[in-house]
Amino acid sequence: MNCAEFQEVLPEVIAGDRTAEQESHLKSCPVCSGLVADLDLIASEARLLQEVAEPSPRVWNSIEITLRQEGIIRDPHRGPSLVPPGPRRWNLAWLAPLAAVVLVGFGIIVYQRGSGDSKLSADLHTPTPAAVANLQTGKKPSSVNKIEDDQLLAAVAPAMQAQYASNLQNVNAYIQDAEESAQADPNDEEAQQIVMDAYGQRAAVYEMALDRSLP
Amino acid sequence: MTDAKKLQGDKLSEAEAIERAKHGDAEAFQLLYGLHKRRVYSLCLRMTSNTAEAEDLTQEAFLQLFRKIATFRGESAFSTWLHRMAVNVVLMQLRKKSLPVVPLEETLENEEEVPKKELGAPDPVLSGSIDRLRLQSAVDALPPGYRRIFVLHDVEGYEHNEIAAMVGCSIGNSKSQLHKARMKLRESLKTSRAEKAAKP
Repeated sequence: MNCAEFQEVLPEVIAGDRTAEQESHLKSCPVCSGLVADLDLIASEARLLQEVAEPSPRVWNSIEITLRQEGIIRDPHRGPSLVPPGPRRWNLAWLAPLAAVVLVGFGIIVYQRGSGDSKLSADLHTPTPAAVANLQTGKKPSSVNKIEDDQLLAAVAPAMQAQYASNLQNVNAYIQDAEESAQADPNDEEAQQIVMDAYGQRAAVYEMALDRSLP
Repeated sequence: MTDAKKLQGDKLSEAEAIERAKHGDAEAFQLLYGLHKRRVYSLCLRMTSNTAEAEDLTQEAFLQLFRKIATFRGESAFSTWLHRMAVNVVLMQLRKKSLPVVPLEETLENEEEVPKKELGAPDPVLSGSIDRLRLQSAVDALPPGYRRIFVLHDVEGYEHNEIAAMVGCSIGNSKSQLHKARMKLRESLKTSRAEKAAKP
């Protein structure tokens, strides 16, 4: 057997199906044995790539928000009960008019600032209280967020504070990144959309926290 | 004990978490996500070579899993069930988005893509070790069709018959693409090693 014949059947050789003739060639030929050793090495080292990274925290935030919106996640404090909690629907209904009021307020602010103002597009956020406050007072979002976050964390159950603090930290970092991108290019509509999505995620975290903390 | 079997702060085991997740327990979902996120995300990242897309696919895979978790009966390991679902999500997305995946038949015929070597000529070998980052870069640079088979077989450990069923090709095709992928990786790793050695 020569090298050409051996390498014709290389996939089978690598898979371990070797005849005596192939084994003999492998032992006598440094080129083919080097090739087989390299391919074996690549296959074994590939396992190192199995777990190399982890997703950013906002992946879980998005998953949790979607699961809640779809009603797959139910009240976490009630253990394995299959009965959905009664007051939850009332809580959501209570939040709907509040969201509508905030939306209207945001619309008024946008209208008053005029559609031709190029800076406006950089300031467009989903109409959360933080976004409205930013637009009105010119405060940095982080300072407004911090006060609101502290108030929210004080309102949630102590056992859930660490989780919400982490969620808020992640979503605020996301907002900051998104706003920096949007401010770098105020005409980038996609960046504006990402800012709005980021505030939407923050609003959802608030909604979840309020939903859990209210009686 | 594997990661999936470890207990977390509240002493909730994976099996208990699965049962609680079936009843909509948020903490159970989060625990299951925490146990398996790295493997699923790494799979998605290897298959797409794009972090944003990998995160989207990770999210989609876990959403599908959690939507169907009530149907999990424990016939197979949960990690196997989840992983198969993640692979299906990735493969489906790749098809949907019409990413530039090299058609299977084309990769079979496209021999010029496979490194040619002069048979019997001196051929430097990789000699015993591969830097993980260089291997990762080389895998990322593979044509998508080769990368898909390589990741499924050599990284994720699927057998050719499983890959053939998942991807929709023949077993021989899967074997052939895997071999070509490894050959391309070898050439790529040798090239990068030579370039590194040539630097002052």
